[in-house]
Formats: sequence, structure tokens, C-alpha cells
Amino acid sequence: MKIMVLNCGSSSVKYQLIDSDQENALAKGVVERIGMSGASLKQSRFDGDKLHYVGEILDHTMAIENVLAVLMSRNHGVIKDKNEIDAVGHRVVHGGEKFEASVLITREVMDIIKDCIDLAPLHNPHNIKGIQAAQRLLPDAPQVAVFDTAFHQNMPQHAYMYALPYSLYRKYTIRRYGFHGTSHRYVSHIAAEMMGKPYSKLRIITVHLGNGCSMAAIKDGYSIDTSMGFTPVEGLVMGTRSGDIDPAIILHIMGQEELTLAQANTLLNKHSGLWGISGISSDAREIIEEAGNGNKRAQLALDVMTYRIKKYIGAYTAAMGGLDVLVFTAGIGENSPVVREMACKGLELMGLKIDPVKNKQAIKTRMEISKEDSKAKVLVIPTNEELVIARDTRDIVLGTKPD
Amino acid sequence: MPIKRVGLIGGGTMGRGIAQTVAAKGIDVYLVEISQEALDQAIKGIAQNIDAEIAKWGMTEGDKRAILARIHGTIKLDELKRRKVDLIIESVPEEISIKKKVLEEIDKFFAQDILFITNTATLSITEIAADLKRKERLIGMHFLNPVPKTALVEIVRGLSTSDRAFEEAKNFAQEIGKTPVEVFEYPGYITSRVIVPFLNEAMYVLMEGVASAEDIDTAMRLGFNFGIGPLTLIDQIGLDELLLWMESLFRELGDLKYRPCPLLRKLVRAGYLGKKSGKGIFTYDEHGHKIQDKPSVLIKH
Repeated sequence: MKIMVLNCGSSSVKYQLIDSDQENALAKGVVERIGMSGASLKQSRFDGDKLHYVGEILDHTMAIENVLAVLMSRNHGVIKDKNEIDAVGHRVVHGGEKFEASVLITREVMDIIKDCIDLAPLHNPHNIKGIQAAQRLLPDAPQVAVFDTAFHQNMPQHAYMYALPYSLYRKYTIRRYGFHGTSHRYVSHIAAEMMGKPYSKLRIITVHLGNGCSMAAIKDGYSIDTSMGFTPVEGLVMGTRSGDIDPAIILHIMGQEELTLAQANTLLNKHSGLWGISGISSDAREIIEEAGNGNKRAQLALDVMTYRIKKYIGAYTAAMGGLDVLVFTAGIGENSPVVREMACKGLELMGLKIDPVKNKQAIKTRMEISKEDSKAKVLVIPTNEELVIARDTRDIVLGTKPD
Repeated sequence: MPIKRVGLIGGGTMGRGIAQTVAAKGIDVYLVEISQEALDQAIKGIAQNIDAEIAKWGMTEGDKRAILARIHGTIKLDELKRRKVDLIIESVPEEISIKKKVLEEIDKFFAQDILFITNTATLSITEIAADLKRKERLIGMHFLNPVPKTALVEIVRGLSTSDRAFEEAKNFAQEIGKTPVEVFEYPGYITSRVIVPFLNEAMYVLMEGVASAEDIDTAMRLGFNFGIGPLTLIDQIGLDELLLWMESLFRELGDLKYRPCPLLRKLVRAGYLGKKSGKGIFTYDEHGHKIQDKPSVLIKH
């Protein structure tokens, strides 16, 4: 089957056309600056052909129209007719408490996704626009929604409740949702494969370190806890997000500096994390390089970030009553031996021993990096969220149950 | 149809605020100023405003680059025609002859049926529109300072403004993140009409020796949860501005309740104009910070 995978943001559409039989991307690309001047479409095809086109793209419908035109074009295309697209899989950020798996998009499903706008005001509206546009342009192709939150929906209540007045949970469903579910799910399944053990009998910690960072504790096949919470700000130190802080700090600063809600929001989301501590960069690569050059604040940022990961490894090991596999994935997780080493340092007593040579070799590749005698295995597994979306879409359309 | 390109004439305080607000929403702004010098000054001012916001963690350097990249300066009015802007906002000085001249000029050379927005707090839309060919396409938008942070905009209909122009202005206001209120032209609209006599009354309370300046502010601030006391607000707005306002309402409506407070008149004559002149009701240091517990010398209690 040929499946179009769409990830629609406020002014961008990322897409891949995936052949789900071969499990490879025939073409992938991105439309940017939708509705602005200088809107562009960039695509790279499986054979290396590249296209960069600048034009007027006013909305998500026009963006997807342009994508279809490129996919069908004589010189840069991969299909002849849009009917060759068998189905469309959409990344949807927030499924609230309603979806614990991917789902075929019906009118009822759309209504529920709309109901979740309050929970993800920056994301769901654009996801909805993308779905509506794809429905208009590909009316015969079934559409599937794959949620960032779904994988974590089986968390026990004691893991997702905040110790706030219960009425807030009832009124606004304030609770932990967690994100990056597609990635945590994908790499944990690969981990089970690599271990040669059944997924339902493992205690896995997945560490997704990308632009956003989160961890999940996956026990007996279910995510039982995850570090992102009601929003993606909670948990690990990220490029520009604070992760865990004392919540009273923000009230204190708002009073001291007379900040507005919007300023406090930007402070937590854009001025914190690696960038906030170091004052140099939000990019872990630059932080590591500067730390190597002796920059103290870069080093501090790195220390704070990796210490936080280590604390969560300890916490999740405790939550699961032990640990069989630790997985690093996404940009930093796949590419940074330094971060992996620092996060695992001192955990030998817990049975976690990294092999420094293997660790250095594991760059953007699927590989075990723990020592032979490490009780818990440490793996590096490149993530592939688009593939998961394509697989789920295929399974739902064919009527087989996704894993 | 979403607005993609906005023509903006005038890069003063309000023009800068409007340019920043519009550009922050991903809309290209073509900013027209009278000279290259004034234009450079306006762009620099916008950059400084954003810097102040970055210092308060409200924006990022990335936001700044994106906003400034969408503000295109020019000193040629007909550039707006060439750029095919979707609507035009004029924010030139608050003087009817200047506003009329600018709008009439655009009215002449613009063939398209675009929306004209005049940014005014005081002037009559009906009067500005008097000599336009397309009177029905002119509408007033009263932005409040500082524009990027004030969620409100008053949309003011002149006598000949069409319903379609109002709908377009309303949609545009929402598109740039403002909450619009519909106002039928009348002196002072809503905001000035209500706040100006209130501030004038606070001056009377001060003049009559009912309470000290600080206590008047404290009482209103804490008593009614106002973010700022009335006398401090007068200093921010400028005492001369307030006086102009009172005189204008008094003239237009002829009611004694709009009589300017004599103390206000006296302070303006003495050059006590508020924060901008370093002293008004209170005194200010060179950074514009209030020097605590120090009302200015003309106020004795």
C-alpha cells in the first residue's frame, strides 16, 4: 500500500509517501511558511532527486494540493495518479482521554479531536485543518489519526494524577498525558526484538532526546509512566524548555518581574532549558562542544540535563521493580555518546554498565552499547515515527489490529 | 480571505506598535515613512521594543528576526500599490488635514477596492471620509498603546462606513489577535469617553486636598483592582494629552462634566507634562522610573 503520512503544524506540513510493503519512503518533504509570503515546498525522493519550489501557498488545502502535484509530477513525482494513495495517516498531538490507540477518522472522531483543542491549543487546530484538507483532496482515501498521547493512555491513575484539587481533574481533565508516544512505542518494540524476548515480559525505559525530550517506563507492554505531563514542558531539561521546576518559582517570578501570562509561558518554553542555563545555544551539539572548550555554563547545562535523565532512570526502575532495557533515541539520543555516558554514569550498582567503545560507535544506528556483564541492556535505536503512522494506517485500513 | 500584506503609513509610536503586532502574526507589513531618516528611526524603535520584550522573556531572538524580516520600509507611497497590499492602515499624526491628505492621495491611485483603516483616537471618521471617492471603505480603528500588549481595538464606524468594511475590519482585528468592539462614531468612543472624565476627577480630588497623590492611586488600585492608579496613568498618558481630551469632549458635547480640572491646566502651563518631561504629578528619573514618594513641587499638601 502507498500511504501518505502528514504532520501539520501552524504554518507547515511535513509529509512522507511510504510504501508500507517495502516500509520505505518514496518521497519526503515539507511545506513551510503557509499563508505567508515566500512559502516553499521542499522534497527529496528515494533516489536522491531534490526539489525546492517557492510560491503562493495560502492554506493547508493549497499546501496539500501542491504536495500532491509534486508527487504526481513527471520529473519529481513518484505516482501517476492521486488514486494510487491508498490511505492517509495523520499525526495528531492530543487525543485527550478518549484514544488509547490509532483510529479511523469518522465524523465522531473529528468531533472528539476538536474537543481536545483546549488541551493542545497550539497543535490540534492545525492537525484538524490538515485532516479536513486531506479529506477534501483525497475523498476516497481512508484517513487515520495517530496520537502522540495514545501510547500513554494506559498509565495507572496514581501515575497520571497530580496532587491538585480533584475538581480540576473533573472540570478540565488536568492530568498527565505524556507525548512522543509514537516514538516510545516504536523503539520499545524494536528493543524487545533486539532482546529476543516477548514485549509483554520486559521492563523498558525509553529516553527520547530530540527538540523535546521525554522518557517512558514501559512494563509488560504498557507505558506506566512518562516524564512529560499535562503539557510538553514537564520532565527532562530540553533545548529551550525547563522541564521539572518548583511550580511556585513561576508564581514568584511573575510577581517579582510583573510578567504577563504570555511572558511566563515564553520564559518556560523558549528561554529555559539548555539555552537558559548556558546562554549559548539550545543545540546539545554546540553545548557539548563548548563544554569541551571549557565553558563552565555549557558544562553546567549538560550536567543538569544528564543528571535529570539519571534521576528518571532511577525513578522508573523503582516504579517497574527493576530494569531490563534502557533505550536512547531521537536526535541527541541517537547521536551523543557523551549524553548517554553521563546519564548512565554511577548506575553500575543498578546493573547498568555502558561499554565506552560501543557507545562511541553507536551514531544514528541500531546497536547495543552495554557491556557483556551489564544486567540491564542499553540500546541505541533510531526512531521512525512516520513508519509507525504508516503501519497503523495500513493495519486499520486492512482491518488488522495495530500492535 | 486571510490578509497577507498590509500597507502601513506612519511609523510613530502607534505605527510601530501596529507594525510589530501585524508582522508577529506572519503578515507582511509595508511601512511608509516621510523620509529615510524617519523610516530608520521607526525600524530601530520596533527593534528596541522587541528587545525590551526579550529582556522580559516574552519573545526570542528568533521572533525578532522573523518580525523584522516581515516589516519592509519604504518612503514611496505608491510602493503600496506595487506590493498589492490587501488593506491600508494610516497612522500619521492626529491632525485631520494630514490624515485627509494621505487618504485622498491613496484613494486616487489605488484601483483595487481595498479597505482603508484610519488609526485615530479622536477624529471624526465621517469628516476624514468627506472627500473620499470610496467613503464606504473607510473605517476607524482605535488601537491603544502599547499596541502589542493591549488586547482591545475599537472599530469605529463613520456615517458612510459600509457593513462590509466593518466585517473586514473585524476579521482583520481578530486575525492579529485583538478583540474588537464596534463603536458608532461619537466623541471619545468608549475607552476615552469613560477614562478621561475619571482621570480628570482624580485631579479634582487631588486639587481639593481630599487625599495625597499616592493615596489616591493606592485607593483606586487596591480598591478596584486596577493595575495602575489614575494619577500615575495621567503621567503616562501625558497631562497635555489629557487636557486636549477634556477640551475636545467639552467642546463637542458642551456638558460641564467635561470641564478640565484647573490643576491640570496649571500643571500643563508649567511644563509638567508627566513621564515624558520627567515630572508631572510625580517625578521621574532619567530612565522614566518613578521616584518614590515624591510628588512634584507644584502639589503641596
